[in-house]
Amino acid sequence: MMPADEQALREQLETAGYIADEDLATTLWLAGELQRPLLLEGDAGVGKTALATALAQAQGRRLVRLQCHEGLDLSQAAYEWNYGRQLLAIRLAETGSERMREADLFGRDYLLQRPLLQALLSEQPCVLLIDEVDRADEAFEAFLLEMLADHQITVPELGTLHARHVPQVLLTSNGTRELSDALRRRCLYHHLDYPTLAREMAIVKRTLPQIESALVEQAVAFVQRLRREDLDKVPGVAETLDWVRALHRLQFKALPEDPQGLMQTLGCLLKTRDDRFQLGAERVRQLIEGRRSAGVAEKAAA
Amino acid sequence: MPAATARAQPLEAIAGFAALLREHGLKVGIAEQRAMVRTALALPLCGAGPAGPGWSERRISAAWRAVACHDLRDWRRWPELFERYWHPERLKGTVKVSGQTRPSRDLREVVQQLQHALAGGTGQPPRPGAAAPDAALDERGGPDDAPGLPRAQGGASRTEALHDRSLTMWLPQDLAQLERLAERIAARLRRRLTRRWHDDVHGRRLDLRRTLRASLRTGGVPVQPAWRTPRRERPRLFILVDVSRSMQTHAQLFLRIARAFVQAAGARVFVFHTRLAEVTPLLQRDSAAVQDKVNAVTAGFGGGTRIATSLADFVGVHARAQLGRSARVWVLSDGFDADEPHLLAEQLLRVRRRGARITWFHPNPARPASAAMQACDGLVERFVPLHRLRDLALALPLLH
Repeated sequence: MMPADEQALREQLETAGYIADEDLATTLWLAGELQRPLLLEGDAGVGKTALATALAQAQGRRLVRLQCHEGLDLSQAAYEWNYGRQLLAIRLAETGSERMREADLFGRDYLLQRPLLQALLSEQPCVLLIDEVDRADEAFEAFLLEMLADHQITVPELGTLHARHVPQVLLTSNGTRELSDALRRRCLYHHLDYPTLAREMAIVKRTLPQIESALVEQAVAFVQRLRREDLDKVPGVAETLDWVRALHRLQFKALPEDPQGLMQTLGCLLKTRDDRFQLGAERVRQLIEGRRSAGVAEKAAA
Repeated sequence: MPAATARAQPLEAIAGFAALLREHGLKVGIAEQRAMVRTALALPLCGAGPAGPGWSERRISAAWRAVACHDLRDWRRWPELFERYWHPERLKGTVKVSGQTRPSRDLREVVQQLQHALAGGTGQPPRPGAAAPDAALDERGGPDDAPGLPRAQGGASRTEALHDRSLTMWLPQDLAQLERLAERIAARLRRRLTRRWHDDVHGRRLDLRRTLRASLRTGGVPVQPAWRTPRRERPRLFILVDVSRSMQTHAQLFLRIARAFVQAAGARVFVFHTRLAEVTPLLQRDSAAVQDKVNAVTAGFGGGTRIATSLADFVGVHARAQLGRSARVWVLSDGFDADEPHLLAEQLLRVRRRGARITWFHPNPARPASAAMQACDGLVERFVPLHRLRDLALALPLLH
């Protein structure tokens, strides 16, 4: 169900387990009101895909997901003719007395609907997630323009298929390739940043309510400080959740004073060899204590 | 007040804001401007919201940001531009050029007027799909047609174009312009045909093996032929940046230029003065510490510039396997070399023999005239002055 305003949408999302800030809720609500696709950009792990899942759940709609990759073509994304079935029909027609026309072979019965067409022809309104659109080729991006602007797909053998209900479209991009201006201008744009301390704590508490508050607060504060380090791969919200889960499974009630106990768990947060190398036990201890760098400040604090 | 006058004011204010955004490089056309008006109408203004009195304005700012911004660069510039136009009084450190007073702008008032005028005074804001705002914009003939339209006055300083300023006086906000230029140049680098083939539905050569394999699914009838096309590859770009003492004032910006090409064209970047070191991995990330790291890499180097020695290292070690006909080598240097003058020509000849093309960017308007450079005539394909950003823009048609 469409919410009356962005506050209502925000509450619905919260019920679905996604804590959105005001700006995001406004943009998302507006995308629904104006029936415009929303392009979400941001680092991996900040909750772009999770937003689509939560939105579908919040509005009680079906989520249709298209995962983009290099070489993605129409037959995987929009539609494909069921050649096997067509051949079978031809053979059956040859053996039987029934005469078959070409138009019979290119009817809806022989059309395999892929995610884009499924979203357009869905009986109920749905949420369409086009995930990591930057991984798809430019040719596919050009094809998307018709679908996003006019909510229709043209199948040469059948004609133009219009949307029964305009789906709420969310596109995500990690910025591995520059998207075309044409695509960007058809979408509303939102850049999802890493959450603030308060929001991240709320997200973790909401997702993992069984875990002690002290552990959540200290762990999230640690991750927030860690993000200010010069890392190859900055940990996202998903990594924070993984790490807090891991700490909980290891029976931690709060972050220990001694960083050695934590070092084995840091694999949840640091995903490259360089980052692991850079973050030795001493640096971890400083981060736990909330210090940005060693040196004069450390001596003064001691 | 006549309805037309009431209608024109808020639309003019929004058009002025759109003009300011355009001046700062945001792609805000008539479609975006219409969407902004529709957005203002879709968000009903109420008093203080749950988060205080500025709530309504923050919502409009968030909504317009989604409409007008198309990438991260725009996204990051938005808060400043929004404040500059709607709240110039909050901006600190701005210089008032004249005693001229500016008309004050109140976003809430603008939106209220707009909603009131377009709802025919009923107090009910029309739904976003209604034709009224579009009609109102059409009546004005679009923002660009209106003569004497206020052009971005509200606190907006008309920034001097980077184009004509010396590159020694660059500002961090000029980088966006630089990055766009780098993207345009990278897009122009001509793709070369290779001997490899790859799958392509629009290809012209039939991939017999895959076609036969696919035909098994349809009882041996090849209903889904597979096609191939030759692969085209971008030229490999190598950028060598001189970071010696004589280039001190330019090196930082030259590294920024190099970084723009790392991101836009996957270039490999080397820095040199007495020795050569690769810094590509440092430039791949958008980190504030890049300059410190590059300084750390070159800290142990002795004084002076040894271009020939550095080039020998480049050709013999770092780029040995990649220097071919499709390679482009860009040297960003003033050409003052402490090596023997003939050595530089020898090393450049080694690069040329591999088929790579050399372009020499020099920071001064005049071509480098050192003894070493004089011996290099005919080896360097092109000398390009890089004194102003306009020089790079002018070189755009030549770099392919």
